[in-house]
Amino acid sequence: MSLLPTMAEVLRQITKKPATNLFPAKYLPKSITGFLGKVSEGKAEINPPVITPENYRGKITYDRDACIGCKICMRVCPANAIEFIKETKTVRIYVTQCIFCSQCNDACPVQCLHMSSDFMLADEDRYSENLIVE
Amino acid sequence: MTSENKSKKAPYTIPIGPTHPALKEPILFTFRINGEVVEEVDFAPGKAHRGIEWMGMRRNPVQIVHLTDRICGICGVSHTFAFARAIEQIVGIDVPDRAHYIRTILAEFERIQSHLLWAGVAAHELGFDTLFNLAWRVREESMDLIELLTGNRVNYAIVQVGGVRRDIEEEKFARIKEGLRYYESLIDKLLKLFLHDKTINMRCRDCGLLTYDAALKLCTVGPTTRASGVRADVRLDSPYAAYGELNFDYVMPDLYTGETRGDVYDRIVVRLLEVAQSVDLIRQCMKQMPEGETLWETKMPKLLAACKKAEGEAVGRVEAPRGECLHYVRMNKSDSPYMWKVKASTYSNQLSWLEMLKGEQIADIPIIVASIDPCMSCTDRVAVVRDGKPDIYSKEYLHRLSVEKTRRLMND
Amino acid sequence: MIDVILAVVGGTIAVTIIGIIVGLVLLGIDRKFAAHMQARVGPPLRQPFIDVAKLMCKDSIVPENAVVSVFNAAPLIALASAVTLLLYIPIAGFYPLFGGLGDAILVMYILTVPALAMVAGGFASGSPYATVGAQREMVTMIAYEFPLAVAIVAVAWRFSMAGFSDPFSLATMAGVGSGVVVWDIVGPLGIIGCLILLLVLAWVTPAELSRVPCDTPEAETELCGGLVAEYSGRNLALFYLAGGVKTFAMTALGVAIFLPWNISWFIGITGWTALIADVVFFLLKVIVVMFFSVSLIRVSMARFRINHLVSLYWGYIAIAALVGLMMIILDVFMKGGVVL
Repeated sequence: MSLLPTMAEVLRQITKKPATNLFPAKYLPKSITGFLGKVSEGKAEINPPVITPENYRGKITYDRDACIGCKICMRVCPANAIEFIKETKTVRIYVTQCIFCSQCNDACPVQCLHMSSDFMLADEDRYSENLIVE
Repeated sequence: MTSENKSKKAPYTIPIGPTHPALKEPILFTFRINGEVVEEVDFAPGKAHRGIEWMGMRRNPVQIVHLTDRICGICGVSHTFAFARAIEQIVGIDVPDRAHYIRTILAEFERIQSHLLWAGVAAHELGFDTLFNLAWRVREESMDLIELLTGNRVNYAIVQVGGVRRDIEEEKFARIKEGLRYYESLIDKLLKLFLHDKTINMRCRDCGLLTYDAALKLCTVGPTTRASGVRADVRLDSPYAAYGELNFDYVMPDLYTGETRGDVYDRIVVRLLEVAQSVDLIRQCMKQMPEGETLWETKMPKLLAACKKAEGEAVGRVEAPRGECLHYVRMNKSDSPYMWKVKASTYSNQLSWLEMLKGEQIADIPIIVASIDPCMSCTDRVAVVRDGKPDIYSKEYLHRLSVEKTRRLMND
Repeated sequence: MIDVILAVVGGTIAVTIIGIIVGLVLLGIDRKFAAHMQARVGPPLRQPFIDVAKLMCKDSIVPENAVVSVFNAAPLIALASAVTLLLYIPIAGFYPLFGGLGDAILVMYILTVPALAMVAGGFASGSPYATVGAQREMVTMIAYEFPLAVAIVAVAWRFSMAGFSDPFSLATMAGVGSGVVVWDIVGPLGIIGCLILLLVLAWVTPAELSRVPCDTPEAETELCGGLVAEYSGRNLALFYLAGGVKTFAMTALGVAIFLPWNISWFIGITGWTALIADVVFFLLKVIVVMFFSVSLIRVSMARFRINHLVSLYWGYIAIAALVGLMMIILDVFMKGGVVL
């Protein structure tokens, strides 16, 4: 086996558990929306994704009441994903444009912006309610 | 396809790219083939041009530093690092010592994941999918650690102008050490599986040769040049961050095989040994890391104001996993830089393809192309379009353009 | 007469359906084996069926500069010839449908037809990738033909030396009816010879089936599919089916020559249960042969360059085959085993 060291390796591996993370299901369901519907009805189970660590940078959260409208977050946002709403003196964040750098979190003088651990953000509509934070 | 390509008579022309299973990023190769042997090579990069520099010149340095993360998905730290170093020199920022060490640790983790990713890709190019799966599986550990330290797996956004944005707290050390032990226990197995395999030996030994002289002449960088026996490494030649205080040496292929041939095999040797070296460097960093601040200025408006006042030009150099990564920045007392130029390692390495590919077989094209670990999105800073069609700038024309630009700048 | 025609037509249709189903299941099992050896879960077992169904729904695109007739005929010929193979190979200890009409030599000739059809299709598709792939396929074919021929002829010759009247018939080799297999008639030297030939056959299989490390004609990363680069839709599905059937035929050939035992006489059952037991046992043997000659080999090495492939098959494997043959000849001269 010294010529083909991998052969011994694969033979050892065949009895072990695969490393694949089976998220969200072991095999592709016939219909994904149907599968997700079943999951929400409690008829099927979803394999959980890998746990995110502490301080993970997921979807942004915004505390509108704490915001003082200083616009510093807009100045540091690399993606220009933050829009100022004049009427209420608050901001609106477009998650589809956000690059999850969390720089606005660091810049915010009143700590009203945070990153959650929510990363399952796929949507058919880039302006859906889920993807606009305000 | 042109009529020339249709001819079945030797030598015939084979295009590889812009999209092809052998290429992970778009680039167009044109080969003149005689039988199975490559007679002539030509390549046309510029297919992944996205105008990032243009975007950067409309943003302030604090924004750009995270934009540079997006130049390339693999060497995120290197680009942000090089850019931050350029800005720090212009503004005159004194980076805290602890930040230097954290930057070094992250850069080395990036090297581990980049080299393992490359090893997997190289194995796939050889048709060896088991090693591809294995290499990418063990790469996950470094990705997990990077996620733990920075908050994200790929676009780390950790380097800030004047330091790093997150400290590595004492309680994370245990987890990091666990990861380092994992790689230390694994490196022998990786070396055995990659380097002692008969089929990989057959495919990679004396394939894609780049001699010492050619490597010097073509100004190749990084593992590509070290595999040809040139002792060059930015970390040692002009130390930055914490590298000056660490104990390490150039990784040369003869450390392992006892000789330097400059073939694809030697490039595998260098990259795998660098994984072991990176683990050692991270250990040293963790031992020597001083206490203290991690940022020069935590208040963003103050940092922006300092950048706005700055004037001058600087070059930030960093040894990315693929080789030297260079950012040139010129600030002119305004929010955004007057000029920002990125020169990634593949830009220096890509001309060595012509040298390596000539006389080799079609079968070796994928592995030779992959052997310099090309990154087209790092490299492609220009795409010439005239009248809606791709075009080529000649040397004379480019020279005239530069002269004109210099005149314009002097008159400003 | 009408009975014979009906039997032949019905039998052929049955063999075609069984061959395609078993072939696709084998491909699915192979993918599962490979996945688990690479620490993956892999696709579900029915994935090859899904693939074929999907390809069948898609348009077949014919390149502008292709020779249309040859381009479209090649997949059909490949599948038809692969199915024809099954008509001559004894399966699960049954007498092959056309067993009386052809022997091992014919099988060896038919084995080249799917490959030749792919070569023709590759040249006809007018793409430089396919042309290079077709050239490589021809070279590969030349390389593995010799060891394969030596392995089969050596066994047949041994049967003739043991006094069998029809030594080249695969039914004779598989011991259909007589129950005598090659291991029963060879002496100690012959056993070593046969073991070597078995290994030779196992090594010829990946080349015959164009799998890693011998997939140079299709080489995904080099030629993006090579021979089949221009094929799509139904035509590609037919090539895929032909590949599955060929996998079954090659492994069945190996089983018929070297591992032809039935389990029913061993555990002493008769009737329908015996039939089912034999079929299951045969499929198990086929899967085991496929595991060692296709799945294990394809996950544990890199792809060969075409010159490596030629030197390996013309050099080492041909020499091994000849050594096996010499052992069997010596065996006969030293009167080991059954010699007339």
